[in-house]
Amino acid sequence: MLAIDVKQLRKQFNVQKNREGLKGAMLDLFKREHTQVTAVKDISFEIPQGEICGYIGENGAGKSTTIKMLTGILVPTSGHIQVNGFVPHKDRERFVQGIGVVFGQRSQLWWDIGVIESFRLLRKVYRVGEADFKQRLDELVETLALGELLNRPVRKLSLGQRMRCELAAALLHRPSILFLDEPTIGLDVVVKTEIREFLKRLNREHGTTILLTTHDLQDIEALCSRVIMLDDGRIIYDGGLEELKARWGKGREVQFQFNDPIPNERLEALTGGLDVRWTKENEQTAKVWIPLEINVSDVLSRVVGTTDISDIKIFETSTEEIVREIYRTGSAETDQQRADANLDEREPTARAEAVRS
Amino acid sequence: MRIAYTFELFREYLANYIKTKLTYRADFWVEVVSDLMFSLMNLVFIFVVFQHTPALGDWNQSEVVFVYGYFMIAQGVFGCFTNLWNFGDRYIIKGEMDRILTRPAHSLAQVMLENVDPPSLVGSLVGIGIMGAAWGELGLPFHWYDPFVLIVMVIGSVLIYSGIYTTLAAISFYSDAPTGIIPLMYNIQSYGRYPIQIYNKGIRFLLTWVLPFAFVGVYPASYFLAEHADRSMAWLTPVVGLIVGAIGLVVWNRGVKRYRGAGS
Repeated sequence: MLAIDVKQLRKQFNVQKNREGLKGAMLDLFKREHTQVTAVKDISFEIPQGEICGYIGENGAGKSTTIKMLTGILVPTSGHIQVNGFVPHKDRERFVQGIGVVFGQRSQLWWDIGVIESFRLLRKVYRVGEADFKQRLDELVETLALGELLNRPVRKLSLGQRMRCELAAALLHRPSILFLDEPTIGLDVVVKTEIREFLKRLNREHGTTILLTTHDLQDIEALCSRVIMLDDGRIIYDGGLEELKARWGKGREVQFQFNDPIPNERLEALTGGLDVRWTKENEQTAKVWIPLEINVSDVLSRVVGTTDISDIKIFETSTEEIVREIYRTGSAETDQQRADANLDEREPTARAEAVRS
Repeated sequence: MRIAYTFELFREYLANYIKTKLTYRADFWVEVVSDLMFSLMNLVFIFVVFQHTPALGDWNQSEVVFVYGYFMIAQGVFGCFTNLWNFGDRYIIKGEMDRILTRPAHSLAQVMLENVDPPSLVGSLVGIGIMGAAWGELGLPFHWYDPFVLIVMVIGSVLIYSGIYTTLAAISFYSDAPTGIIPLMYNIQSYGRYPIQIYNKGIRFLLTWVLPFAFVGVYPASYFLAEHADRSMAWLTPVVGLIVGAIGLVVWNRGVKRYRGAGS
């Protein structure tokens, strides 16, 4: 069964035009001018149950608007949505019983009272039985390490602590779909990692479907098997993360730090016959660019065996660079042929990381 | 079922309110005192007027105070439950409506519950006192069913206020800045607490049939008065309450569909 089914979804907003100057303001008093802005332009996608899907795009691409339509907050202008078997905005009160929502920039919790009090109130709002609540709470307290936070008022929590509580609050009623709008915004690396681990576990153990928007592509790399990329209200890419990288990752770069100064000719000679490109950083440092068809290990073995090296770094095209590139060109569909040609020979572990030896 | 659920929520929200306010105790008393000061000033105004004239129309001082006491009861209950003054700012412009709409209870009920304001009930208690004192002074008879009639009347009056202010709050869903209307409404509303017979025909019509503020004051209170008793108008109070309340709910429900969120 599909968790989320969206067809030809569109959302238009009427935006007031404010005319300039005093005269304009006077005119606005009597006759307002409106412009129509289409935030989401006839998008369609399907998400099966149990999937973690990343929803990415620049600011103003229409991510939040989509999420708000999927959660029943906004009513779409046209199109068809079905989430968890409901049309969100039509049967809102029954529908939201089955979903969890975390907006990174907005709190679900009551500001002045202890976290546990908020949880108890939410238990009543979602009509969760006392025994069930207890069991669920214990589980969440353990996995999110909330023990010490429960009796503190929310306003005295740090952002990371608050975020963990928000996640717990959204999951008390065991929703089968979890919507996260920028869940890791403003958090430090440790908390980010904890939250990612928690989400993975949630998905694995409870089969919770997760749809998250984020600006942090590391969230996507850590969590998502699938990415939907949005630009100007349209979907420009929908598919696996690996495929995205394969299509757009153009090669890798390896940086060598030599113990002795090394001339260019010597470098060229080392990799003779391979289609690689050397660039010198300084006397003792050089970078080699290796296209996807050539194995990094082939190049390494030739260089390492014959020279005295103090350091090696491997640079992968990061997802971030790929995404930046896609936004720059405005579409993920260009360069198709090239991508197809490269697809077979790519290495399976495409990770943005620097390896130090 | 659904009503029972909402009532249970009310209890929980109230408990939370109390917990919150216990941390800010001073705040609670400041609110009570300022509410009372405001009511007291209006009462003093009535006494000052009657020092200059023995009667307003054919209403004497005790009768006017009696009506004012009734008004205070209704106003206090309304202020406790329908505290929508900053709805537009807080829920629409700052986008807190998002949170409301992701929870499985009626959106208006949630907004009302989140803003419960029990200190204004103190005003109702004072209103009961004022009404009781005027009752004695006027030497009105007391029937066993009078308290029940009073409860029905107050519920009707509160529904009228709530319906009107819910409608006004719901305008925020359509327009960006409706804030100008609420102070205006507040001014018109204050006419309702004096005997409507002292106004001219136009205002009387306005306060009875257009913005029925007279049903929060003189009409229901007149049920208990000997001289000015107008039973048929008094019994219209719960009816008008249901109608205006229903209008408020419908406008709200339609407005929510037009909610557009804030920011990203």
